Amino acid sequence: MAGNELISVPFEEDDHRTAFIFSSGTTPTTTTNHPTTARPSKRRKVANPDPPPPASQQDASAAACPAWPALFGGAESAHAARLRRTLFETAWPVLEERIQGVLREANGATLDEVTGFLGGAAGEETGKLTAGFIITGPNIALQDLLFEQLAERLGAAAQARFVRLRASEAPNLKAALKKIICDATARGTEDDGEVELVQGGRKYLDYDLESLHGCLGQQQKQQQEPPRVVVAFQDSEAFETGLLTDLITLFHSWRGRIHFDLLFGVATSVELFQARLLKSTARLLYGAQFDVVQANSVLESVIKSAVAGTQATLRIGPSLLRTLVDRQRDQVAGIQVFISSLKYAYMCHFYANPLSVLLAGADRLDRGMLQPEHIEAVRTLDSFKAQAEAAVEARQLTHAQSLIEDDEYLAAQILEQGQKRDEYILHLLRALHLLTCSGLTSLSFTELYILALSEGIDISQSTGTLPLEDAARQLSPSDFLALIDRLLAAVRAGSPELGLAGWESDAADDFVHPLTDLRDEVDGLLSRSKTNGAALKSKYSAHSRVVRTTVVAQKVQLSRDSAALTDEDKAFSAAIDALFTILAQSLHSDPLAALFLHETCALDTRAPYRDVFVPRPGATFARALARPHDYLACACCAGTAAAGGIAPSLPATAVLYHLYLEAGALVNVADLWAAFRALVVGEDGDGEEEDGDGERAALVGFYRGLAELRMIGFVKQSKKKADHPHTTKPRPRHTYTNTHIHIHLPNTNNPKMEHPSPHQPNNPPFPPSQPSSSFTTRLSQKNPALHAKLSQMSLPLAPLVQLTTGLIHPCFPRTLLAFWLLSDSQLDSLAHFYHQRTPSRWTAQYPCPVAWPAGLGLEEKRMKFGRFVGLRGCESPTVVMGNVGWLGRTEEEIEEGARRARDGDEEVRRKMGWF
Amino acid sequence: MTGLFQLPDELIFTTLTQAFPCREPQIRALATLLYPRAAPCRNLVVYGTEATGKAAITTALLAKLADHPHADDHDDDFSLRYAIVNSVECITARHLYETVVAKTARALAWDAAPSRCETLSQLAVELSKMLKYAPRPDGFRFVLVLDAIDRQRDAPNTMFPALARLSEIIPSLTTVFIVTSPPPHFLLTPSVPHLHFPSYTKPDFVTILSLTPPSPLPNTTPQETADLYSRFAAAVHDALARAASRTLPSLSHACAALWPRFTAPVRAGTHTAREFSKLLVAARAHFHDDTLLDPGVLAPTTITTTAAPTTSTILPKPDTATSAGAALAHLLPTTPRLLLLASYLASHNPTRHDVTLFSTHHQRTRRRRGGGGSTPGRRPKHRKIARKLLGAHAFVLERMLAIYASVRGEWMNSKSYCSEEEGVVGDADIGMAMATLASLRLLVKVGGAGGAGGGSAAADVMDCGGKWRVNVGWEVIRGLGRGVGVEVEEWLIE
Repeated sequence: MAGNELISVPFEEDDHRTAFIFSSGTTPTTTTNHPTTARPSKRRKVANPDPPPPASQQDASAAACPAWPALFGGAESAHAARLRRTLFETAWPVLEERIQGVLREANGATLDEVTGFLGGAAGEETGKLTAGFIITGPNIALQDLLFEQLAERLGAAAQARFVRLRASEAPNLKAALKKIICDATARGTEDDGEVELVQGGRKYLDYDLESLHGCLGQQQKQQQEPPRVVVAFQDSEAFETGLLTDLITLFHSWRGRIHFDLLFGVATSVELFQARLLKSTARLLYGAQFDVVQANSVLESVIKSAVAGTQATLRIGPSLLRTLVDRQRDQVAGIQVFISSLKYAYMCHFYANPLSVLLAGADRLDRGMLQPEHIEAVRTLDSFKAQAEAAVEARQLTHAQSLIEDDEYLAAQILEQGQKRDEYILHLLRALHLLTCSGLTSLSFTELYILALSEGIDISQSTGTLPLEDAARQLSPSDFLALIDRLLAAVRAGSPELGLAGWESDAADDFVHPLTDLRDEVDGLLSRSKTNGAALKSKYSAHSRVVRTTVVAQKVQLSRDSAALTDEDKAFSAAIDALFTILAQSLHSDPLAALFLHETCALDTRAPYRDVFVPRPGATFARALARPHDYLACACCAGTAAAGGIAPSLPATAVLYHLYLEAGALVNVADLWAAFRALVVGEDGDGEEEDGDGERAALVGFYRGLAELRMIGFVKQSKKKADHPHTTKPRPRHTYTNTHIHIHLPNTNNPKMEHPSPHQPNNPPFPPSQPSSSFTTRLSQKNPALHAKLSQMSLPLAPLVQLTTGLIHPCFPRTLLAFWLLSDSQLDSLAHFYHQRTPSRWTAQYPCPVAWPAGLGLEEKRMKFGRFVGLRGCESPTVVMGNVGWLGRTEEEIEEGARRARDGDEEVRRKMGWF
Repeated sequence: MTGLFQLPDELIFTTLTQAFPCREPQIRALATLLYPRAAPCRNLVVYGTEATGKAAITTALLAKLADHPHADDHDDDFSLRYAIVNSVECITARHLYETVVAKTARALAWDAAPSRCETLSQLAVELSKMLKYAPRPDGFRFVLVLDAIDRQRDAPNTMFPALARLSEIIPSLTTVFIVTSPPPHFLLTPSVPHLHFPSYTKPDFVTILSLTPPSPLPNTTPQETADLYSRFAAAVHDALARAASRTLPSLSHACAALWPRFTAPVRAGTHTAREFSKLLVAARAHFHDDTLLDPGVLAPTTITTTAAPTTSTILPKPDTATSAGAALAHLLPTTPRLLLLASYLASHNPTRHDVTLFSTHHQRTRRRRGGGGSTPGRRPKHRKIARKLLGAHAFVLERMLAIYASVRGEWMNSKSYCSEEEGVVGDADIGMAMATLASLRLLVKVGGAGGAGGGSAAADVMDCGGKWRVNVGWEVIRGLGRGVGVEVEEWLIE
């Protein structure tokens, strides 16, 4: 598996860092209060200021010392570290092999059935295509294995050509046929033109089944019988219906010449599959359904052999195991996920727990291995405390004292503990095996195992964790004998699945002999009662209580009294009690937590597993954006930001995220900018010059932050008029923001314009800068149309800044008129300046990025640029140039539209009750 | 004395008529139009609905005509060669041309390796090379049969007219087009003879089916069985063929499926083979069975597993859709199950009712859920179709997740095994479950228009903009819901 590669590859330092700080160069340009005034020099190849150590050196060191990093803050000896690694490398492959074996075995029955079906169907003449439907369930990983095995089996047994088709490999009919022919003729795919084989010098097309026919025919001459072609559709749900129909019709029409058999891997049900096919196509198939062993039972056997079995070095603790099993049941996890979680648990334990060296056998673990740190670590364990307290309770004060004070004494105890641990596990597994064999409980093995680990096994009725007393008492004599036989057989045979050998000799005295005696006794009782003509019963059986009806003076009296028990019955009752005592003794087992030093051999923490296997991207993003200081740990925002507040020094995206949390469902970008600017730049600028520069830098940050939020999916620009907000929200704070107003940015040339919000139109109908007595003014006073056009054309446009520098292009049109007067070269230069002409990582970070392919006409470029700066109506660059009235919409009109949209929105919201 | 017009040997007709009963006029007409000495035509359109014997009869007749030794003739000039190309087997038009050339070459035992044949003009060249320019006797005719040519994939518009013109370029070629129903002006050439193969009538069906009687029943003679079978076939035709299954294969399938059930009383000994009406009354229920018309992909399991299915009168009933839902519920883990149910609700409930249905701020009693007892007194003015009978509507992902989040608590509480620390909505497990459902085509994505940016590509897998639609029907969902203890009907607004 991939793990072996992982081990051999040395990790990079960066692989485990929590957060990466992305800096665009040596001079950060975002959100700093000291913006760079000059453009940064062009990036050129310079020596890396902090070169990483050369890889070759790392490799060499890894090869020389294959140990894992030393724990105990580096105090761990290299020997111990290497031992941990060796332990892992010996423990895991054994398990993995067993798991693979279990998985392969699980499919055995299905394989037999399918092979038998195909073999039987070959004889029948139905005029239809033989089709096997294998219900695999949604577990795709197992499908692969199953079809692999099928290919092996059918190829060997029936001389069939096996072709596996996956939907991704066969997007259309030609590709599917090509693959079928290639695989069936066992020819490589190297020639992709025509296949050059043939009779009479004719070339076949590569999707021509005739070539397959010819190829099979040649072999027929050699082998008498034409080989069959088995086409397996591995994930039949993913195939297009049309493609399936085509293929089935085609195979059917070739039926007489090439013997096609079909296999479909069906994840849902045959009915759903059939519903997708045309009826005329479905009529061509003649099929049978096969069920693969379901994921539950596969999981059960994997747990038996790999988690619970004696070969498992590390015990998975009950709560972790419970989580894993629940996840298998609730989510689409698949057995592969379970296996990798298991492996991850092993890796975690041996990599990060220094005490895992104690799992080594007595041959590799000696006193010299145990450092003072190990001893010290053992003393901090919970189970050590419990042990010491228990010793004090039991008045073994010297024992307790030497445990705490004497290192040598504790070390000896630790070394002894390995033996005790093995005994405990062996006893536990034997008890579990007996329990499952006895059939007294209906719980599955997994449940029993988890129960035994977490609470221990105690089968007494009133206090036990697994009350079985009643079940045992209900036994009839024949059941009783059968139970004893089963138990004895279990003891004799052991369990190969669990890796248990038979332990008949071990348990001869306290289990086997008493049971044999009991069996003989009950046997004798049974035969004796048979000769007496009475049924043998115990005092616990329900039959012993009889309801009697007596008629006394025309009244019916009901009386319950116990039927008289014969001597045999009494003896049988005693036998049941004896059996129960024996069982209670031999099945009794303590929970795992009661074992001294159980922390060394069991892993029961769910935290790392959860983080690794159940990632939560949404929550992680929200957390990181809300409190970036926790991840960046920069000095600049140590104060308020560390506590979760907003500070201007936070990254722009984080600031915007805070603002976004405060905003409603819809937010106006201009308002957002105003708030952002007030936060980052400050309301009253210090000086004209610096204020302009700081604002430009802030604007760059704003662009990028907004683009990032959009990329993550927090905000969305709406093209429609404001639609009503979603009635039910999955994430209450993750609302979608409709920016229905184009971004109007402050004109830095005009210090009066502090609030660029469209709610306060700050553009008077007449541009104030124009002299009132000019010719055009006079003319326009007479001509209202001209007046309107003039005011339209003099609408100021807020300039955009370049993301990298914060500069404004000198040609940027300051008014609408200037926009219309832009020349072709100017437009190109603008597009280049704002990173739109050549796509780079900055391109998408502008508010409205546009595509700028070569060969555009002047007006197309103008439209594109109009869309880039946020003018209305430039959405479609191919608009007819006659209808450009929208371009001249004044602020009032825009505001009116926005208000209308908002009002409509309000109306919807009011109608919607609480929302 | 041989005249100009001479029909082929009568022996051919008798054998063919035996093999294909009820088709004698068509066989004779076809022979006349194809036989080199009779009235060979250039193009011929053979049409008729499916399973009426068009291709089979043409193939058999051509084989006879080509093989038939001209023993009684003094000259050996009149010879016939043919090639049959099935368009269903041809993937592209080019494939068709190449197959035509290859089969022609094989029929003529043409030695030279043919070159590529990618277009119609190359086809004409290749065929001319083999048929026109090679020296042939005067009476030579070549018949090219294009079977199911109207089903040809990616056929260019010019293909039919061009194929019809081939015989104008090559005089000795007869092209036979076998189609289901020819449109008017099919080949854009005038006066092409058409030969119609009509559907079989009831006597035809009975005759054909009676030709292959089943193995005799116990306690009856083969003659009695054959008589019973022919009456039985007529009854099946009356019951099924008139209404639904008009083709020969479906009728014979129905007969084969019904015969064991119909004759079960005879086998059991309760009736004799002569008591047809009693048998019919006894088996009346089976004649109403719809599954006969729609046999399904699964073979009846009784045939494959047990050897004696015939004695049982119980139908080998295919699993109904409810069991499909149950099977699905068994296969899918809990979270995808609930997601699928939530998707169904999102697809079939109008958005405006979401607050009423799913909001926890309302009293439960205010919920206007459908499915309860409908008030019998008042009749609504506009009768509406129940939404679950209509097609599924598309929904946005967020809405479905919201529905999932709101119903999950309620649905999971009813189950005891609800784990209390389930992941929040939006974590990776939900994404994985969605991906599984999508890969199983239980959920499908519709649309997929680009995001908010400018010219973004359409239909992107990673795009979160598109809408989704549930792809399973009501029956399955109901079974699935019951599998987790949820009555889905309560959550649908009528």
